Parts: sequence; structure tokens; C-alpha cells
Amino acid sequence: MNKISTVKVTIDGHHIIASSEDTILDVANRLGIKIPTLCHDPRLKPYSSCFVCVVQINGNNNLQPSCSTKVADNMIIETNNQKVRESRKTALDLLLSNHYADCEAPCKQTCPAGVDVQGYISLIEKKMYSKAIELIKEVNPLPAICGRVCVRPCEVACRRNLMDENAAVGIDYLKRYAADVDLNSNNRFTPNIAPSTGKKVAIVGAGPGGLSAAYFLQQKGHQVDIFESKPYAGGWLRYGIPQYRLPNNLLDSEVKTITDIGVNIFYNKTLGENLSYKDLSVNYHSTILTIGSQKGTLLGVDGEEAENVFSGVDFLRNMEVTGKPADFTGKTVVVVGGGNTAMDCCRTSQRCGAKKTYVVYRRTEAEMPANPIEIHESKLEGVEYLLLTNPVKVNADEKGKLKSLTLIKMELGEPDASGRRRPVPIEGSEYDLEVDFCLAAIGQKTDINFIDDINKNSKNGQLKPDRWGNINANSKTLQTDVESFFAAGDGVTGPATIIEAIAQAKVAATSCHQFLMGEEIKPIEKDFVSKKTNFTDKIKGDIIGKYARKMRYEMAVLDPQQRLNFNEVELGYDSQEKVLEETNRCLECGCTEVFNCNLKDYSSEYGVDQKRFAGDYLRSDIDFSHPLIEIDNNKCILCSRCIRICDEVVGANALGLIYRGFKSVVAPSMKKSLVETNCESCGLCISTCPTGAITENVTFKPGPVKTEKAKVICQYCGVGCELELHHINQFVVKSSGVNGMSNPDGNLCKLGKFGYRVLNNSRIKTPLKRIGDEFIPISFDEAYKIIVEKIKHVRPNENGFFAGGGLTNEEQYLVQKFARAGAKTNNVSSFYYLNTEKERKDNCIANVPFKQIAFANNIYLLGTNLTNYNQIVGFNVNIAKKSNNAKVTLVSERDILLQERKCNSVVKIKSYLHFIRAVNFYLISNNKFNRMFINDRTSGFDKYKTVLLELSFNELVAKAGISEDYIIQFANEYNLSEKSILIFAEKDLNIATAKELINLALITGKLGKESSGIVCLKEKCNAQGIFDMGVSPYFGVAGVAIDDKRFAEKAVLKWGIPVFKPNLPDMESLLKMGLLKNLFIFGEDPIGTAKDKEQAKKWIQSAEFVVVHDLFMSETAAAADIILPASWSYQTGGAYTDSSRNVKQFDVAINLDIERSSWQQINDILLLLKVKANISLSEVRDEIFSFMENSNRKDHKYKFTFSTNQLEPLFINGCSILEKECQI
Amino acid sequence: MDKTVVVGMGSCGIAAGANKVYQALNNYVLQLPKVEFELKKTSCIGMCFKEPLVEVIDKTGSYLYGNVTPELALQIIETHINNNTPITQFIVSSNVIEAPQNYYFDLQKKVVLANCGVIDPESISEYQNRGGYVALKTIVSSGLSDVDIIEEIKKSGLRGRGGGGFSTGMKWQFAHNNKSDDKYIICNADEGDPGAFMDRSLLEGDPHSVIEGMIIGAYAIGANRGVIYCRAEYPLAIKRLNIALSQARKIGFLGENIAGINGFNFDIYLKEGAGAFVCGEETALIASVEGERGMPRKRPPFPAESGLWRKPTNINNVETWANIPVIIRNGASEYAKLGTENSKGTKVFALTGKIKNGGLVEVPMGITINDIIYKLGGGIKGDKKFKGVQLGGPSGGCIPAHLGDTIVDYDSVNKTGAIMGSGGMVIMDETTCMVDVARFFLDFTYKESCGKCTFCRIGTKRMLEILERITNGHGKDDDIDTLQTLGQQIKESSLCGLGQTAPNPVLSTIRYFRDEYEAHIHSKKCPAKSCRPLLTYIVDKDKCIGCTVCARNCPSNAIDGEPKKIHFIRQNDCIKCGICFSKCKFDAIQLL
Repeated sequence: MNKISTVKVTIDGHHIIASSEDTILDVANRLGIKIPTLCHDPRLKPYSSCFVCVVQINGNNNLQPSCSTKVADNMIIETNNQKVRESRKTALDLLLSNHYADCEAPCKQTCPAGVDVQGYISLIEKKMYSKAIELIKEVNPLPAICGRVCVRPCEVACRRNLMDENAAVGIDYLKRYAADVDLNSNNRFTPNIAPSTGKKVAIVGAGPGGLSAAYFLQQKGHQVDIFESKPYAGGWLRYGIPQYRLPNNLLDSEVKTITDIGVNIFYNKTLGENLSYKDLSVNYHSTILTIGSQKGTLLGVDGEEAENVFSGVDFLRNMEVTGKPADFTGKTVVVVGGGNTAMDCCRTSQRCGAKKTYVVYRRTEAEMPANPIEIHESKLEGVEYLLLTNPVKVNADEKGKLKSLTLIKMELGEPDASGRRRPVPIEGSEYDLEVDFCLAAIGQKTDINFIDDINKNSKNGQLKPDRWGNINANSKTLQTDVESFFAAGDGVTGPATIIEAIAQAKVAATSCHQFLMGEEIKPIEKDFVSKKTNFTDKIKGDIIGKYARKMRYEMAVLDPQQRLNFNEVELGYDSQEKVLEETNRCLECGCTEVFNCNLKDYSSEYGVDQKRFAGDYLRSDIDFSHPLIEIDNNKCILCSRCIRICDEVVGANALGLIYRGFKSVVAPSMKKSLVETNCESCGLCISTCPTGAITENVTFKPGPVKTEKAKVICQYCGVGCELELHHINQFVVKSSGVNGMSNPDGNLCKLGKFGYRVLNNSRIKTPLKRIGDEFIPISFDEAYKIIVEKIKHVRPNENGFFAGGGLTNEEQYLVQKFARAGAKTNNVSSFYYLNTEKERKDNCIANVPFKQIAFANNIYLLGTNLTNYNQIVGFNVNIAKKSNNAKVTLVSERDILLQERKCNSVVKIKSYLHFIRAVNFYLISNNKFNRMFINDRTSGFDKYKTVLLELSFNELVAKAGISEDYIIQFANEYNLSEKSILIFAEKDLNIATAKELINLALITGKLGKESSGIVCLKEKCNAQGIFDMGVSPYFGVAGVAIDDKRFAEKAVLKWGIPVFKPNLPDMESLLKMGLLKNLFIFGEDPIGTAKDKEQAKKWIQSAEFVVVHDLFMSETAAAADIILPASWSYQTGGAYTDSSRNVKQFDVAINLDIERSSWQQINDILLLLKVKANISLSEVRDEIFSFMENSNRKDHKYKFTFSTNQLEPLFINGCSILEKECQI
Repeated sequence: MDKTVVVGMGSCGIAAGANKVYQALNNYVLQLPKVEFELKKTSCIGMCFKEPLVEVIDKTGSYLYGNVTPELALQIIETHINNNTPITQFIVSSNVIEAPQNYYFDLQKKVVLANCGVIDPESISEYQNRGGYVALKTIVSSGLSDVDIIEEIKKSGLRGRGGGGFSTGMKWQFAHNNKSDDKYIICNADEGDPGAFMDRSLLEGDPHSVIEGMIIGAYAIGANRGVIYCRAEYPLAIKRLNIALSQARKIGFLGENIAGINGFNFDIYLKEGAGAFVCGEETALIASVEGERGMPRKRPPFPAESGLWRKPTNINNVETWANIPVIIRNGASEYAKLGTENSKGTKVFALTGKIKNGGLVEVPMGITINDIIYKLGGGIKGDKKFKGVQLGGPSGGCIPAHLGDTIVDYDSVNKTGAIMGSGGMVIMDETTCMVDVARFFLDFTYKESCGKCTFCRIGTKRMLEILERITNGHGKDDDIDTLQTLGQQIKESSLCGLGQTAPNPVLSTIRYFRDEYEAHIHSKKCPAKSCRPLLTYIVDKDKCIGCTVCARNCPSNAIDGEPKKIHFIRQNDCIKCGICFSKCKFDAIQLL
């Protein structure tokens, strides 16, 4: 092997000294030079398959993958030249050409404003209505309005349509529901407003575009003033859309959300009349023209100047301006046109009392641009359609008043430029229709008569009309030819939809903001979006048969008989249940990893063209067969990270590649379902996937939406991994590993990864009191009162207190304080360690730090299964085996198949205790022990030796159930190996065996060295805290003996209690004898987890009064008299002490949802018991620290001990309900 | 007995019917109590185009009979053996009399193939009789050290015959320099190029030469274990290798203290490959031997540092190993007399394609391509126009006819854009469409890509799609540019040789035959008239007599016409099957 040396390299002109073991990527990362990579994960050996990380090395024609190329002396590297960039782009183009997947759902892709529909539906599903509105308002400030009158291109695009005919998800209904709830709530969503910039913006026109632009700009800290020519805001929303579709009060409420953030609206101000260019240019830094397109056009046929022929727009506007409906009583009305304005006109005509309303349209209903629901409703309201018909002449009577229309029949010919078939008149088919009124709803024009005023005075450019008479503006930035003027909405596009105006407002506002800030005006950069439609139009196959059919919940509408007024017709969803049902119809077409996808990020950065190499692509079904892990090979880029992490870190080898070349796919081994492989369900594959090909199989709607993150310590086993909870308003949607002390690579096991789900489960939220077989909620005060009385009612030692290993140090401390200072008893323990705590205390006196396991040479597992629990330790063992060639030996009394296949050597024995004793016996009797270590670092060797050697070696061997040869081989191998670690779990070994293991490590002097010693695995995150906090009749706080003066004196002083002696009889006996009248059980479920359930039940039942304090209704809680609701440790913060005795503190991660937190409840009771309580958690911590002083003994010596206690642990799952509730 | 009858029983001979010939002769021998000749088998004699071959050796010399049938074989016994009268009309080659193919052997220089087609490959003594294992004994007798041998190999100028052309001596030196308790040497016999059968013939014909080479190599670099990685599709080679290995073990050339050299322990294990082309790549081969999926990994570390089971490993291909005993036996300077300045020795080629004399030839380095094709190969089949030759298989490139004077030598071949490769030589004539040739080779590499690297996995697929599009008449204007850009990027950004060379056939055909690509794309024509979708059949009005044969035979009823009147092909319905063309007796169907 080459020696490691230092080398000089030049990378992008930086000269740097590096190690010859470094890869180019390592060096670049250190320098902060970003090199994209998809197949590299620092947790894994370099692989080099994606070739996205290529760099150029001087003198080498080929590009080299930086992830696996080591630096060499005098290497000159360029990481970002044109050749490199082009190659990276091609690599990405190629990958994306076989990435049949949607980043975003079609609803979002189709929405002109890009509203994240899938995201807000997910929030609505979680009843987070204001949060949904917050998300919508990032791009659309008018959700309540749009929820009523949007033309809903999203629903047209919705893939539900492919399943249930014409039954898109009720996107607009849902939006309307959320918007109405938010609008009517006391704390409706209001955006954050940036500090004032001192800049002022004028907006001309208070229509949807103007209002939206104002909303966006005001948020940026600019002062926005809107000038509106009419007396009210809304523009087309008010003066075009009739009230039965959009009530004015609703409109006003939503406008108010915009004026509430500081936007001013000045009414009756018309540009070119009482508002001039000068007013704008003098008083404002910039102007946005959102003037709309409101000039109605007439029919364009002879005679149209006749009286009672109006443009539909004028008709609608007039009614709003006058405030009076037109009087069509008994009249016949013809509306010409097939768009939404025509619908508004005909439906309004009916409401104005028309005897008959016709809609004349030159094509068929299928070609009508109007919203189908409008056509449907209009028919219900009695409107008649004259399709394939067109007016050719208006006939007036002698007074010039409309008398009749001459209509001609049409037929459809060849498709025209719009793709629709061109209507062609049928010669000779003309006929006359007598009518009283004619409303032409066939188009509008933009009125820019103010242009002269601007151009006359403008010094920085001239405003120009485009060839349709609209304002000419840059299509990407919406800047006009007058530098400080921007324009948006119908005034630019000609008549279009509300949502298009809103989308334009966002663009104009962004450009305007850049202008105001003196930045370069750049169009909003569009991220790369992978689309299935780039591959095929035939997407139906992905949907049909994959989801259950489910019809859409239509919202209630006004009875057609009751519509001769302007009351709102659509009534909205009337229950949360319907809303929830409808959200569940969303197929979630967009990718859940859209916010974390490296592939997408790089594709955006390198401007990937998904169609550049269009060709064959692989298409496969998504595999949902694993309850936690979802495999979507369509998204896979074959980086093999999942395969490699499952091999190199987990050692399960559950995944592999099948087929070759272009057809290669990742699949569970033997092409089975992942659940049928050796998969350990840890989810490391998910953590390493750079795209969304392997994701979490979740039961809720993930969105995805952007989340908040909170760093905590895992609440399950004693390894104490650090992780981040990703949550939306405290609803936790994901957990991911962070680089922690116990998990420096950021790995998590299945509980760390998926165990967060329990956080969203419903819990006990109030104190409960048993009445017969029922529990009724009571107040905290009432509960406290009962408890205090019960305590006072019995003698101190008739109280028994129990605290679990899942409580924080602070909580455990308070439980023992409750017992000792409050109830004046030393009867405090944990069921978890019941009657074993005295001897278990030494189990992890010298635990090897978990991360050092990976560097060991020899690892011995004593019956330990690391594939199901404490998996992180299992990963480290596997890494040691894979990277360090460590030998892993499993010595076991039982079959543990998954673990066995990950070991180099498996030895089946009959008795751990006799096996280890035989080993110890052999070593000592053959003088193979580390005398120097024993002399310097231990005590009690001679006594131990005497006791041990009195045993019969032959008998030990016989009982061990393995040959003497093997025992000798094992003893010698262990004795001579450096960096060897013995691993056992408390749940597997009895006390006597655990002690013998420690003796073995002492005999051979393995403790206190790097990657050498013992690892004792505990089941609960804070099992160690039970000792450290003195939750035991034998130990005081800081783990010193109960009568040790360092504790006793302080306790007397602080709490005014007597010096306790160790209990006689012990707690288990007290339970057995039924001497404990009051039981207080904090965070433990002895009945639910007991190996002997009947016995545990008996213990609990024999007490007169039982208080259980827990998160969930455990079996023990069900047997309680009073249940106190526990707060989650993540709701209060606190500290856990892991099995390596590292104290790990974490802050509040999720909001408290009960009135009093766990620690507060204990304090409340202590106060009632006249004990000085703590007002804050940090005060509790200080009090704990005050006991810790002087407790560290520097002259500590390891003790040889000989135990005969062969009792097995009495409970499973660390005596906690959490694992059961978690169900993984 | 002074007469010997040898039947060529290589795979080529067997395929042509040599088994029946041998059986006929053997039956003859078994029927008689005593015969006047010895009947023997050998492997490929090299003149595959005349198989089955039977060689008669008598006092006067050697006579090689070609295209022998069982009947002819018995006739040969009757006339030549029993009556001492060679049947000259069937003799293809002889060192005694004039024969039509004598030139075939005269132009060759048999060094590694010296025993092929001569000895019985299943007999170690025949190998030893012809100088076999002398090299190994020389090491003992001359007291050559490991360093001496490496120096000797360096001095010989031998370069890797697998295609890379890296100095074998240098490679050995690297493996030698890396100290380890265990070291491996591997013989790469995963010959997978379409049209290549050099290694197979050598293993079938002279397995001991490879084994002896490996033993010497093991001694030189200090290896204690050897692996022959041979594709399972070569059952005869595997059978003969296994026989040879057990013979060598029995005699003490494999095992412990080999050839009496104290502490020289070495044995060879034969691993059958499952037929993945990429396993010819060193690191993929190693992964395959280890039982993993055959996928390459990044080098460095090179196998010489960390190879099989992460131990120093030296890999050479079959032909390279077979050169070793010759070098040691005759001395490096003797060996270096053959060849050019930078390419020493000989090279074995498998001639295939549109060539008259297809077969296995061994020529000295420095011979020209034209000499191989016209002198050895006898020219192009059907005397068509020579267009080019694909050298190096799917990794190689094409040498066009106008560069036919190029000499066979690593550097000269590389200059043309082709590579020497392992020795596959596919000859193409005017009827070969070069776009289609590129498509053929790319189809091969696309299918053989292991799927690891993006560029190779998807890039070759996309290039293939473009080539298919072009040959189907749907080529786009910028397709040539795309092929060149993408091809260049695939070369620059792939992990192993497969990807790094996959675009070569495309790039080199574009380089020399760009006009053919353009004709396909712009004029929708295939100049070689080979790409069916681009063909147009029309009726020559002057020649058609209205016999209706074409119309009656047209499977798609695309031909209109009444008897005795000129016929007409409706192009929209024509499926370009060419049946009319072949059926017309009046040459009235024209192919445009």
C-alpha cells in the first residue's frame, strides 16, 4: 500500500496542501468549491457512476470523477470550466431523459400563478387552514375570490379526471373553504412586512392585478398606493362578475386583507383625467399599470347601433355602478357569445326578470370557452341555447329600437389557428328572432387614452401600445418602455383570467422591486421541472387501477327555484368531514422530495433540457409493498447509493441491481418485496437517495410543504442519536439524522427514522378520574387535591414512586424529589430496573463511545440482536467489519438469523453465564491476566479469583454447552486482541452474566482504551438517568449511595428530610406484599410490558390508590384511579443521558398542547405539599447540578464482583408504552 | 510408422464437419488389425475457410487437404497412404509440392500459434516435444531471478495483446513491487468481441503455452495463485484447459515447489465467466471472480496494487501469456528481432467479414493491412470493392481502404483512430453501409454496458437511437453533430474501457464516411444500398416485358400492371423486401 503523504495541488487557482488520501471532492469541499454529485455520499466508499462530479485535470484528456479521484502532487484541477460544465449538463440531460416523473403535480404546473395546490391540500387535510392560505398567498393574495370565480385550469389538468369522469379534485372548493375559515378567524394569516425601504409605488387600477401587485410590493417594505377610477375596489371582480357568483361583502373582506397590511387605495382617480403622469412621477418611485381591459365590443354587424343593444361588459358594469338590477321583466334577451362574460350576462338577465334569455353561439357547446359549471347552472336557471348560430344583422323599429336579430345557422369546418373547428355559415339559413335586448359578450378592448399624457411628459421612454392596442411591456419582466413603469393584467394581455392577472402581478411586482432596489431587472428564474408529459401523453396507466375510485363531493348550491335574486349560488362545503374526504381524493401527483431533490437542483443549475435526448425510457410501477419504504424506479438514476448503504453500513444487502445496461434497475434481492428480504427497515436507503426514488411510505398527505426543523435526541433506545424533526405547525412529517455524538454520520435506525409518527398520535390531554369503569376529565387542581389528600392519608412508606427510563433527567429528578421531599419516603424506583438497580448500576461504567465501535478489530456480541433494536450500534459493527476487516463473533443461546448472517463467526452455547465464567476461569487459572491493569485500576481481584476458582472448570464447560477447545480459543483470541469490544443488551443478559463480562474485560485490561471495552445497551433513551437522578432506594441524586453524606447532607439541607437508609424490604417485596397503598407511576407501563402480566396486575391492584402519568392510555393507566397527562419531552426540552453516559440536552421542539407540562405538574403538587418548587426547568437543572458537585471520584477503581443474581428483566420494551404505540 | 494423418478439430473444423471425417478415419483404423499410419487430432490449423482440413505427413513432407468429406478422407487413405500418391487436386497447401494456398502459410510467422494445428492439445508430451516447459526449466537451469525475468520481458518489448498495448514487463514490475503475502495473476480469456476468436483458438490449440506463461509470470511477480477467467461459451477451450491443468499439476509444474524451485508454490483455478463483455475489463473481471456483479470500478488503485481480494494482481490476456515461454526460451533479443521499433513480435488476427479467406492468421508486426487482406485473405469476396476494415471490435475503429497501407503496429493503427485491439479484423466491402456498421457495434456495446455510468448506460442508448433513426430514414439535420458531441463526452466521462471506447466505431465512421451519414440524413439514401427503409425499387420501363412475375410475388401487392404491359411499383405500399428484384428475370427491377 502506498504511504500517505502530503501533496501540493492547485484547484481553480487555489494552491493547497492536501493528503494523498484525499479525493479531489474532499479538497474542493474544504475550499468551499461546490462540485455537484449525485452518486457520492460521504458515508460510503467512492463509487463514481453519475459522472456529474467530473473535473478536468491538467494533462488528462478525459474528465475525472472528483468523488473517487485522489489528489496527487502538483495536480492542477479545474472544477468549473466550459468542458466540465457541458459534460455535467449532458450527464444530467441523459439522466433526465430516463426520469419518467413529475416534480410537480399538473395542477400546479397548469396554474398560471403556480399555486402549490398539492401543498395546500395537504395542509387542509391537517386542518391547517391559515397555513394553507399562507402557502397560497405566496403567489395568490386572493384565495377567497379565486375560490369562487377562478376558471380553474388546475381542475382541468387534475389527474382525477382520468379516473372519475369529469371529477377533478374540488380544488377550488377546498381553497374556498380554507380561505373562508381563515378570513373569518380571529387570527387570520397576515404576511410579514419587511422594514420600510422608503420607496413609494403607485398602482393604477384596483382590480385583481393591482391588488395583487400591491400585496406583494407592500410586503417588501415599499409603500403602495392604488389609484382606482371607480368608487370601490375590485375592478372586474366587482364591475364584471355578478354578485350571485362573488358577493361584494366577500370581495371587500379580501380587499381589506390587502389594505390591512398598509396599502392605500384612492378612489375615483382616473389616469389621464384627474391623475396625471406628473402626479405619479413626482410622488412615486415607480408605477404599475393594472388598468384592465374593459371597453366592450359590439357585434360588428349592420344595425348594431340600435337602442337596447349593449356590450355585455357595459351592461354588467352599469348595474354595479347604479346599484340597481336592470328591469327585463317580461322581455326577451339575447346574449351573443360563449365565454364566461356571456354566462354572467345570461344568468343576470334571468335574475333581472327576463321572460326568455337566449345564448347565441356560433360553435357547439363543446367549443364554448365558458366554465362548464356555468353553462350547467345557466340551463338550470332557464337559459336557452341557440348553438351553431350567429347574428348577421340587427333590425330596429322605426324609433331605432331593437326589434329583432337576423340569425344564420352555422356548421363546423376545418380547424382554425386556435385549433377549434372554424364555424362556416350555411347559406340561406337566415331567420329572424324577435328580441327586446341584445347583449354582446364577444370581447373587450383595452382603453389606453392616457398614453399621450405620459408620453408628453415622460423623460425616460415612451409608452407604446402593441398591435392589439394593449400596453406594450417586456413579456418576461413586464417593464414598459417607460423605465419606471410596469404593467400587468388584462391591460397587457387583453381580456384574460383573474389568475393570469395575479400571475402577472407577481412578475411585475418582482421586477418593480428589483427596479426600486437598483438591481438588475431579471425575469423570475424558473426551476427545472421534470414532467411525465415530456415522455408521453398516455399517463392514464399510472392512475387507473392504482387508486380507489371515489366520486367528488360537490358543494351545495342554491335551489334553482330560489335564484331570482343576486344571492350567492354556490354555498361552499358545510363540514370539515367533506373537506377531509375531498382532500383524500388528491392523488399527489407531484414528488414528495421536490424540495430536497439534488437531481432537480442540479438540473436547474445546469439548465437541463429533458427532451434533448428524448428516446426510450423505463416505466415501472411504484412498489408500496413495504409499510415504511416506497420504491419508485421511474425516478431512480442508478447511483446505487441505496444498495451500497444497505451493504456497507447496514450489512443487510436487501437491495441490488438487476438486468444490465440501460435496462438496469434497483430491486430488492431476488426481486422479492422488500419486506421479504433481509431489510431491517432502517430507512437509510431513503436518507441517501438523491432523488425521490426511495421515499417514506406515509399515511398522511405529505404535501410536500416546507417544514420547520427542530433538533432533538431520539426518544427510543439508549444510544441517544441526534435527529431533526421536520414539522408543520407541530405536525411532524419527517425525521432526519444529524451528525451527533452517537451518530456522527447522521445515520438513524428505524425508530429514529420512523418513530416520529407516534408524535402525531392522539394522546391524553387532561387529568382523568376513574368513576367505576369510566374515566372522566377533571381539572388539574382537582387531581392535585385528590393526590395530596391520599398522600396525607397514609404513612410515608406506604407510598411508592416509579419513574421510567423515557423521562428526562429533570422529570426523573422531580419524581424522586416528589417521593423524598414531598411524600417523605425513600420508596422510589423504576419498574424497568425493579430490584436490580443495585447491580445493574455498574453495567455501563466504561462504555466504549458508540462511534469508536467502527474502528474495532474484534467484536463479540453476546446474544445481541442489533438488527431490530440499537441498530445504530449494529451499523457501526458492520462498518468495522466492512471497512476495518473486523472479526465479528456472535455468541448466542438462541437463533438470531438476521444477525448471524452479518457475523463472521456464530457460536451457539447453552449458557452465557457459564461460558463467560469458564473463559474467566481459564484465563485466571492459566495466569493469562493483565496484572498491571488489575493492580492499578481495579479492586477486589483476589477475592473474585478465590470465589471463581472454587468452581469446577469442567462443570462450567459442561453447562456452557460448548467445547473446552472453543472456550480456550475464545479466551486466548480475546485476551490477545487489541481494540476488541464486548457488546450486550441488558434485556438479554442477567446480572450475574453482565458482571462476569465486566470481569472478563477487567482481567484482560480492555477498559479505558480506544475502541476497546464494553458496550452495554439499554432499552430506553434515559435509562441511565434512573441511576444518575437517584430514582432508586439505594442511590441519591448523582448516583451516590443513599446514605452517602454528599447526598444526605444536601438533601436534609435543601428539602428538610431525614437521612434515608436503603429500603428494607426492597421495592419488589413491598409490591409483592401489597404494602404500598399509594402508587405513583410516571412514564411506565408495567402491566402492558410485563413478562408476567398477571403478577404485574396484582401488584397494581393491591394498591388502594394508583396515579399513572403517561402520554397514552396504557394498560397500567387503564388500571389507575387518577391519570395525569404527560407532556412530551420534546414539548418541554430536557436532557437524556445515553448508555455511554453522555448527557444530551435538547430544547423545546414542538408546542405544549396541555395546560401543565409534566415537570410543572410535579412542582404544583410539591408546592401543595409545602416543598419549595422550581419555577423553571433551568432552575430544576441548577438544583440537580448542586447535587452533582463533588460527586466525581478521581480515585475511581473498577470493582471485580461476583454475583449469583440470575434474574432476567421483568419487562420488555424498557417498560414503556412508546414502542407499542409506535408499531414499527 | 512413418505416416501421420492429422484432423483439424478446432471449433471451426468441428463446425464444418471434422467430427464425421475423424469418425470415418477412426472406423477405418478400428476395422483393420494394423494400419500404416497414425491418426491424430489437432486444433485449428488456421485455414478456416477450407475446413475440414486433414493433413498427411509422410517421409517427403506435409500435405494439407481442404474441404475434406468422410468419403474424401477414405480416398486419401486409399490413394495417398496406401499408394503413396498425393491427390493433388484436393491439396490446398504443402511444403513439398505447389499448392494453391501455399502463400497462406508463407506470409505468416507462427510464434504463438506454432503448435496450433500441429500438436494434440490434450497431450502434454507433444507440447514438451516441441519445446514446451523448456522455458520453465531454463529458469531453474540458468538460475534466473524474478527480476531477471521481468527485465527480459521488458527487453523483449512485448506489449499487452488484449488491446491496450501496455508494456507487459512494466505491468509485471508494478505487481512485483507491491509486497504482499498473497498475490494473484489472472489470464483474461473473456474474449467477447464480435468476430474475434484468437484466444479461443489458442486455448483450444495450445493450452499449455498459456499455462507455462502464467507459471513464469507467477514466479516473476511472486504470485501464489492464478485464475484463468474464461467465458463459459468456450466449452472446448475449458475442457482442454482443465486437462492441461491437471497434467501440469501431475508433473509438478503447478502445486508446491514447482519445477523443484524451493518455495515456489502456485496453482491455477479456472473461473467460467457468464458472458458479459464488460468482464473483459480488469476491474469488472475481478469483481466477477469475487462473485460480485461484473461492474468496473475506478482505477487507481490499479490491480497491481489492489486487485483480486484486494491483493496485488497482474492480469494479461491469453495471447500475451502465450508469448512468454517463447521469449524466455529463445531470449528477448531473438524475440525483439520480429516486428517494428515499438511493436515487437507477432500478432494473431481473426479475419472475418467480406473476405475470401477467413481464418486465423499470425503475422509479424509491420505487415500492411493491404497485405493481410489481399495476400493472406485473398481479397474481397465476390471481388467487390474493399471499403474498410474494423479493427479492435466494438471498441475499435475503422481503417478505410485508402489507408490500406497502414502497417500493423500499435502506434500506426492508433493514428488512424482505430486500435489494434485483441485482433478481430472485420473486412467490409462496398455493399456494407458504414452507418449500419456503426449501429451494429453500438447495439453491441449498448447491450453489453454494465449500466453503472450515466454516459455509457444512457449515452450509448441515445447514440444507438440516433443511428437507428438515421438508418430508418428519419435522421435529423443535427444528428451528426449530436453523435460527435455526445460520443466525445461518453469517451471522456466513462469509468472503464467499454464506455471510453464505445463511440469509436461511430466517430471513426463519421470521420471517414461522413458522406454516407449525410446521404442517409439529407437525401434519405443509403449509398451501400443496405438500409432497407431507404431503398427504392422501380421498374425499368425499357426492360419490363410485363411477365407479371414481380406482381404475383409481391407480398404487399404493391405492384400494378397487366400482362404484357409495363408494371409499376406503388412506393407507399412497397415494403422493400426485394423479392421482385430477385424474381425478375429481365433485370427490370432497379434498386435506387
